[in-house]
Amino acid sequence: MDDATVAVGGFRGKRRKPRSAAAFGRRWYGYAFVAPVALFLCAVVVVPLAHAFWTSLYRVRGLNTTFVGLGNYVRVLSDDAFWHSLGVSLVFTGCSVALHMLLGLALALLLHALAFARTPLRILFLTPWMVAPAVGATIWLWLLEPQFGVVNYLLRAAHVVSAPVAWLGEPGTALAAVVAVDVWRGVPFVMLLMLAGLQTIPAEQYEAAAIDGASAWQRFRYVTLPNLRYLIVVASTLDIINTIRHYDIIGVMTAGGPAGGTEVLPVLLYNTAFRANHFGEAAAIGVALLVLVLAFSVVYVKLTRLDRQPSA
Amino acid sequence: MIRARPERQAVLACVTLAALVVVLFPFYWMVNTSLKPPDEVFASPPTFFSAHWSLGAYASLFATKPIARYFLNSLIVAIGATLVSVSLAALAAYGLTRFFPRGATPFVMFLLFTKMLPETLLIIPYFRLMSDLGLLNTYVALILAYSSFALPFSVWMLIGFFRSIPREIDEAATMDGATVLQTFRRVILPLARPGLTAVALFTFLLAWNSYVWALVLTTDSSMFVLSVGIANMVGEYRVQWNELMAAALVAAVPVMILYSLLERHLVDAITAGAVKG
Amino acid sequence: MMTRSTIRATLAVAFASLAIAPSIAQQPIVLQWQTANLTESQYEPVWKKTIAEFEAANPGIRIEPVLVARKDHWTKFVAAAQAKKAPCIVSVDLTTAAYNGYLMPLDKYWNAEPAAFRNAYSPAMLSAAKWKGHLYGVPIWGGTYADIYNRDLVVKAGLDPAKPPKTFADYIAWGKRLTGNDHWATAVLGGKTDTTTRVLLTWIWANGGEAFNDDMTEATFAKDPKSLAAIKTYLGFAGATGIAAPAPTTTNYLEQTTLFAQGKIATMRNAYWAVAKVEGDNRAMKGKMFVAPNPANVPNAPTLATMTASSISSSCPHPDEAWKFIKFDAGKKWSIERAVVSNWMPLRNDLANDPQIRADPLLAEFVKIGEHARSYPLPSPIWADIAANDIVDAVQRALLAPDKTDEIFRDLDARLTKKLRDI
Repeated sequence: MDDATVAVGGFRGKRRKPRSAAAFGRRWYGYAFVAPVALFLCAVVVVPLAHAFWTSLYRVRGLNTTFVGLGNYVRVLSDDAFWHSLGVSLVFTGCSVALHMLLGLALALLLHALAFARTPLRILFLTPWMVAPAVGATIWLWLLEPQFGVVNYLLRAAHVVSAPVAWLGEPGTALAAVVAVDVWRGVPFVMLLMLAGLQTIPAEQYEAAAIDGASAWQRFRYVTLPNLRYLIVVASTLDIINTIRHYDIIGVMTAGGPAGGTEVLPVLLYNTAFRANHFGEAAAIGVALLVLVLAFSVVYVKLTRLDRQPSA
Repeated sequence: MIRARPERQAVLACVTLAALVVVLFPFYWMVNTSLKPPDEVFASPPTFFSAHWSLGAYASLFATKPIARYFLNSLIVAIGATLVSVSLAALAAYGLTRFFPRGATPFVMFLLFTKMLPETLLIIPYFRLMSDLGLLNTYVALILAYSSFALPFSVWMLIGFFRSIPREIDEAATMDGATVLQTFRRVILPLARPGLTAVALFTFLLAWNSYVWALVLTTDSSMFVLSVGIANMVGEYRVQWNELMAAALVAAVPVMILYSLLERHLVDAITAGAVKG
Repeated sequence: MMTRSTIRATLAVAFASLAIAPSIAQQPIVLQWQTANLTESQYEPVWKKTIAEFEAANPGIRIEPVLVARKDHWTKFVAAAQAKKAPCIVSVDLTTAAYNGYLMPLDKYWNAEPAAFRNAYSPAMLSAAKWKGHLYGVPIWGGTYADIYNRDLVVKAGLDPAKPPKTFADYIAWGKRLTGNDHWATAVLGGKTDTTTRVLLTWIWANGGEAFNDDMTEATFAKDPKSLAAIKTYLGFAGATGIAAPAPTTTNYLEQTTLFAQGKIATMRNAYWAVAKVEGDNRAMKGKMFVAPNPANVPNAPTLATMTASSISSSCPHPDEAWKFIKFDAGKKWSIERAVVSNWMPLRNDLANDPQIRADPLLAEFVKIGEHARSYPLPSPIWADIAANDIVDAVQRALLAPDKTDEIFRDLDARLTKKLRDI
């Protein structure tokens, strides 16, 4: 850790000297480059975050507010609905992300092994990701409709079921259905990332493994996976953060029902804010969600040692 | 490519086809529904092909709703957000990789943090902010909102990308007498084109499909974007399903075209930038 | 010492400002109008005419419609209202909005109107538009809930359309005849919208039961035995009695009307606006429907009539002009237009004998049934919350576990009473 103050144009006399930055001694250039984004995001983040914290300390009934300190947090955390919702969120996120990664990797391996029509296939498999989640959810809503939906029609025609299944009508199947739709929407992006990763694995490594007599599974385990490790970790982190915040699909398909079976935290938040009109409590739930995601990220990053840069 | 034997390829092709059917079925259904006359939409059993397929829904859609205007608004907002996002992200990523190499990761953590705020909580503060700035019903409000959502991922991706461009190039340019800004603009940016394209595609998609912000920040119909126009077609008392599906397809097509054309840049960028970090 | 050119310039500026000044003075006042119904295709022709005629008659005022999807209407309104920038003329959940401070009391405008105008509304209807004694909206239209039948299916089952069921037992008897392989008599609404609650209330009231006490401080869904019995009977259609279509927990208005339009169910409890939807879905249904009052076990049981009112938001800078428009829109002409073109019931009590209303037998029948109706939403500021969340949750749970119905609704009573006392 050099402690030299840069002689040339060291405007702010920083403690550290960047490594090969002899010609870039003027640190303030760096600040100038980063400043727009930093300021922009601060405004975009700090303002709403402050507003959220502030609101969570008040009992809000429209334009009438009363200060209640931590009262909202007490109410929210002692309400069964919150813990139930947290549980549903964890299940939904866990299943969705796991399936995203598994199916994304599987599809990537599949496409990687195919010798033809790669680009058109890639585009085709990307299409669910290109449609707005709300639109996709609306279509699936009607595909899964018990009486008129195509899914039931096909299942009955193939004699897999004898009576129409109410997919969204029961908590268990409803959760499975929204996970399935989220998987449909989310796999393409993971597939793309994995495919890109697969393309960078040098062929020599596979050849070397083949020479050593490795089976297909062993090649996958000892050549493919280690090379993709960083990508998998990054993709899953982003995916978890996105999925735990996701509102659209469940909001459109079940609005949290039936009987709260699919009420993930963002849906609970929305319902508390815009159906029950309890903005203070909603803000408290939001802050709780934020803390949860933050805690998870820190733990996850430490566990996967994301903060240590792999050698570039 | 490992052993591209024909039998193996055939098996893989079958599996791919099966996967493709599952993935694309909803789109097929969208197209099917958009071509049907209204009476047939809920016929039971559902019809997969119809003798009455026609472009009537599309015609009436364009006749009764200002879809072209919505399309234009979406385009302006998406392009605007893309420009802002690409420029700001490129600047930040370059600054971080060249001047604060060890600060890059904490900054990325900060970016991820900004994404963790649930959207619902942002609705009311954003409205108030834009209203106080007098930006309601303007393109600027939406462009700012969408850029801010796209920035975290964009910066992250470009950091990886810029890191793979060797510093020697910068130094060579400086030797030739270029200022930092000139180095950035004339030398580094062209090299980063795939990364910039990827960021542009990603931001465009985000801005194009977003709904909540346009819902809250615009009240004038002439400023509505496509996603708002589509949502407004879902009445409670009547829904013209074939027109709705037609509109959704119209909204999806530009994105698909754009992605088809520029897809390989996306892959290149991820390959270079994200794989090795 | 002014040169000639300076004098000319000064005169030019003076004339120019004189020319501009009147046009600035004539800048029209722009009033924003937001109601979820502006995006309903059956209402579009009517509201466009309403605005055009109003603007023609009032040149200094311009009405700017704010189009928003129904499901996001309240969210958008609240976002604007919290920033004190809500549209001037709105139709929202009146009690909740008034309680939250989003609406302006209209007493001073109302009392200044001639008696003829004020007497067109019954006291019951007006009390539904009041909160804490002040009037917050003018009732504009409503929807009376009754049973709509598919004439062909009724006849096919060997039943007489001229003698619709009068009691619960009759209804079940009809129901059994109307149910067969892959088609049912009716549908139980259990989806996550407040329509579920509306239909539930009609059954409770038809049995002489009450879901709440008089001043809305206590819930009596289970406490009132008549109410509990009605709930069990109604929810039983999807279970033990078996006369309702499957998957009730996902059945909302859209599914219900689609089922009816496709002939999968023979009857539906709905409002007049459903007729247009059904006819739009399936042209063959035109003229094939008839309506009958809800079967009831007590005489003179009221049905439910939703009430939509036009209000002025509390942040509106031009309330006088806004009132002008509301008055215009509430007039006879537009009430009839809305009824005839859009199928929305007028809430004025002076239109029953209007020739246009009488010309449509379905509409006339609905108007008659509506003369004995209770207004909805129920007057509580948390109504939107309990109707779309708590009550629906209880209905869904009871549909999934019928043998626990008693317990579920007792829990609901406790929950609601706690919420009602905690306002």
